[in-house]
Amino acid sequence: MMAARSATRGSAATAEDVDVPRAGYVPFWRRALGSRSFVAGATLFGALLVVALLAPVLAPHDPSTQNLTGGLQTSSADHLLGTDQLGRDILSRLLFAARTDLRIAVTAAAFPFVFGVAVGIIAGFVGGWVDAVVSRVIDTVIAFPFYVIVIALVFAVGVGEPGIYAAFALVGWVGYARVMRASARTLRSAGWVAAARGGGLSTPRVLVRHVLPNVLPQAVVLLMTEILLIMVAVVTLGYLGLGVQPPTPDWGTMIADGQNFITTKWWLSAVPGLAIVYTGISLSLFADGLGDAWRVA
Amino acid sequence: MQSPLIPLRRRALKIGVAVIAAALVLTGCATDASTSSSAESPQAGGTITIGRTASVTSFDVNKEITANNAFAIDKVFESLVSFDSDGKIIPWLASDYTVSDDGLTYVFTLRDGVKFSDGTALTAKDVVFSLERHLKLGADAPLPLDAPITSITAGSDDTSVTILLKSAYTPLLAELASFSNGIYPADFGGKSEEAFFKSPVATGPFVVSEWDTNGDLTFVKNTNYWQPGKPYIDKLVYKLVADDTQLLQQVQAGQLDAIDEVPYSNVTELQNNASTTVVTNKSWEIEQVFFNTKNKYFSDEHVRRAIAQAIDRAGLTQAVTFGTGTVANSLIPPTISYSATDQGYALDYDVTAAKAELAQSAYPDGFAVSLAIKAGNSAVAQEAQIVQEALKQIDITVTIDSLEVATFQEQVYGNLDYDFMINSGQSDYPDPDELVSFQADPEGWSQSYWTSYTNPEVTTLIQQGRVTASGDERQSIYFDIQKILASEVPYIPLYFTSTIKASTSKVHDLTLLPNGSIRFQDAWIEQ
Amino acid sequence: MPPFRHFAVMVWRVLRRALSRVVPVAVGVVVIVFFLLRLVPGDPARAVLGDTATQESVDALRAQLGLDLPLWKQFVDFVLQLVTRFDTGDSLVYHESTRVLIAERAPLSLGIVAIAVIVTLLVAIPLAVIAASHKDGPLDHLIRVVPTVGLGMPTFWIGLLLIIVFAVTLKWFPVGGVGTGALEPWRSFVLPAIAVSFAAVPPLVRSLRAQLLDVMDADFVTTLRAAHIPERRIQFRHILRNAAVPSLNLFGVNVAYLIGGTLVVEKVFAINGVGMLLFNSISSRDFPVVQGVALYCAIFVVVITLAVDAISAVIDPRLRAAPSHLVTA
Repeated sequence: MMAARSATRGSAATAEDVDVPRAGYVPFWRRALGSRSFVAGATLFGALLVVALLAPVLAPHDPSTQNLTGGLQTSSADHLLGTDQLGRDILSRLLFAARTDLRIAVTAAAFPFVFGVAVGIIAGFVGGWVDAVVSRVIDTVIAFPFYVIVIALVFAVGVGEPGIYAAFALVGWVGYARVMRASARTLRSAGWVAAARGGGLSTPRVLVRHVLPNVLPQAVVLLMTEILLIMVAVVTLGYLGLGVQPPTPDWGTMIADGQNFITTKWWLSAVPGLAIVYTGISLSLFADGLGDAWRVA
Repeated sequence: MQSPLIPLRRRALKIGVAVIAAALVLTGCATDASTSSSAESPQAGGTITIGRTASVTSFDVNKEITANNAFAIDKVFESLVSFDSDGKIIPWLASDYTVSDDGLTYVFTLRDGVKFSDGTALTAKDVVFSLERHLKLGADAPLPLDAPITSITAGSDDTSVTILLKSAYTPLLAELASFSNGIYPADFGGKSEEAFFKSPVATGPFVVSEWDTNGDLTFVKNTNYWQPGKPYIDKLVYKLVADDTQLLQQVQAGQLDAIDEVPYSNVTELQNNASTTVVTNKSWEIEQVFFNTKNKYFSDEHVRRAIAQAIDRAGLTQAVTFGTGTVANSLIPPTISYSATDQGYALDYDVTAAKAELAQSAYPDGFAVSLAIKAGNSAVAQEAQIVQEALKQIDITVTIDSLEVATFQEQVYGNLDYDFMINSGQSDYPDPDELVSFQADPEGWSQSYWTSYTNPEVTTLIQQGRVTASGDERQSIYFDIQKILASEVPYIPLYFTSTIKASTSKVHDLTLLPNGSIRFQDAWIEQ
Repeated sequence: MPPFRHFAVMVWRVLRRALSRVVPVAVGVVVIVFFLLRLVPGDPARAVLGDTATQESVDALRAQLGLDLPLWKQFVDFVLQLVTRFDTGDSLVYHESTRVLIAERAPLSLGIVAIAVIVTLLVAIPLAVIAASHKDGPLDHLIRVVPTVGLGMPTFWIGLLLIIVFAVTLKWFPVGGVGTGALEPWRSFVLPAIAVSFAAVPPLVRSLRAQLLDVMDADFVTTLRAAHIPERRIQFRHILRNAAVPSLNLFGVNVAYLIGGTLVVEKVFAINGVGMLLFNSISSRDFPVVQGVALYCAIFVVVITLAVDAISAVIDPRLRAAPSHLVTA
């Protein structure tokens, strides 16, 4: 998480690009389709979304139907990826897990996105003591290694989905707040913003009408990275037994369940891991492509 | 498969008598029996390093119950009597004992030549001091001496001890065999209590050498041990490896000589590996589904009976334990006397019958409940999913409520705030009284294992079982209890677990006890 | 200005800036750590004592832990304990100071972090240099895209794969635990460190590449080229050094990430470090220890950030007077 936040540090400094609105305007889609990252990322991520949404249709079996005497089968026509310890179809579980993990990651990313962007642009634009306080709070949260604070929070709030949402709500906003703050600060001194303010527009109005649209693309690019990082964290929590609880299929618990068999039936842990890697590649490329298209990264 | 959580063993309230005719049948799983046997003659010397998932935090023999401590304490402290790998009571620090006909007077003759590890001789005064401290601890002792003891006195020549009882109490010998009745020097050998248990001196085969309460523990051999020439090994190291997959891989790689826990799923893998050996023994532990009989639905006996018939216990046992467990058809496992597992009392798997049974209940159309389990134990998580799927067949919707151990304890044990749960019951010594008292006595400390199950007939039978001498009469009492429990189903015994350990093939003669401990006196390692 | 005065002024500036940021962050860290575990559902005292506890002993522990006091009083006691004993109380399980417990295990975790730092640098710097010197070429694209795969790989999963390949199959490294002997512990740290580094490399490569490109275009490089200084020497002596400062800052922040990853990966490799202590304490609800781990990790991160700040100031005089851009971008 920290790593990705810091990845955008450099881009925060380039936020000045944004305050030259509409110069040499090229439609977003034109630029997007011209970016190989965008095309590849959007295709891969789109495929994942389709799979997740259509899991009930695509899955050959009910992911929870057991066959107690047919556990740990290897690949066959009926079970392409074999079965798990309880005789459940691994392919079906993999597809449904995509649904679970993606849903949780997107849900968990929503509040921090809104809150972080709001806090960031207000602090950066208003400045003064507001900015000072927000900056100190950001510094404080950042001082905790991401996994340490998330695990401690999940521990405090309780395992499972509510704990995950609470934990990310409390720490996830910081990434956006930092970047948005820096961008909003740059905008504050930009000529056209000063003009808008001089023209009698209220601060909230300037923020919503002028600052927000300019910084939002950057926040959306960051959102993609954050969804990925939250997803990896959700899977990690699942592996540690602090995340999604059985029987809900989740890639992390699938890896954990397969761990005992790793020397004999390696695919039990490897396949869900590869699914996460796929998600990672698609989201990274997509974020990259969005950045290219919006020229923010 | 087990989580790195410290396994909580159950507190035992009552005690039991001995004389076990434990006809141990080592079935199916084709493992190496309770002792990793070898025809070769033992070599002395060397170190055995065994990986365990929890560290040793205390040596206070009277105050501990969890496996991580108990199975270190029993290397240092020994009791008057003990039990062998079949669960049979055997003389230990007492070479002989007599019980009066009225069952009120027990006389123990101390074994000749037993010395503490500091070289001083064991006397009857030490025994009196140790047992009296245990009695005085009262509620602070989790595995107490519950016998109605009037007095414990040393014989005039200081080589015998007499225990007088107010009333007959058949489980006494079994109770004394528990590690919690280990013997130590009178007045802690002149040290303070705290100092003594930091560096304990007792009669066991090993002496604590280096001890990190959150890490490893090194024992060295007790050169004054009363069994001549034993232990063979010079050092025994308990290495903390808080992950059972790691345990497995480290013993396969030869980084560890032995491991204390083997996931069920990997037993075959280790057996097939020429460089590792698996040792198993039947245990005193029973995996069960427990009902909160105060719950709206589960107060209905038909509902409980329907569920018992909806679960394929054989399939579950196979899928979860990979054949290492044995399907349980009674509460008392065959490793303890008077097990009724072969008496045909248990309700068989029959979904049609289950539906018919539910139709007779007040909830013929099913209902929704939640199943409480402790988070972090993958075997239990698998079982919960099997139960969940099984009950779908009779229209009972189950939500699995996976609780942190502490929350589980508070919610289930503390507030009885649960619908039903999966948990395991365990006996600490080989007498049936402990299990039935713990699981069926509503007045007992655990309120019938937190099920609130109450049946005055059972309560009366429990009382009778305690005072009845071993024999057919006692057997029929425990059979009756198990028959009632199987019919009224306050809990469903799923399977009897096996104790499973593994080592590299250089390690020989590990002796497994049914309580899950390993005896290392006879163990040796190829140099 | 005499050299000494100059130096003293510089030190003072660095120090003042550091203090003005460290003090509020330290206060924030303490407040967060304190409230973190007041959110725990259930009664910590009962949780600790387990199912055999009587109500009296639970009450006694509550009193002993001060859980029966008003919240503000608990907070004051918490701070006092921190100031006088440098810890968050005694472990409820081990009955030892949390500071001692953490200090005992910290060397293992720090060992992994140290190797992870080295691995990260050894991988990231060459990649960034290659990417920058082949700007927009296929190699550049490859280096920008391939490592990002690491971002989507959970550390624990990489750990599992490394164990299977390099420990179980190839037997190059121990499968887990920490060996004894002179170099053996370091050997045990290699695989966990590599697992942790996976996600730390991509952002560093990106940042370093961007900085390198900036510097390459700088006037002084053009001058050096004009002076026919060998290109290799320009790259390594001048460009890399100038690009190092901003990346150093980034790296400071990354240490926080490496620590988090290390704690998780300890579980996979069964290394009895601070991470294992954290997980065990969570299982046993040993909340002073959970608090202590969070606190010490945060303090460590703050110290590292400060150190990085100071080093940057020393390397790059331009930064001495400039407002800090360290923790907050």
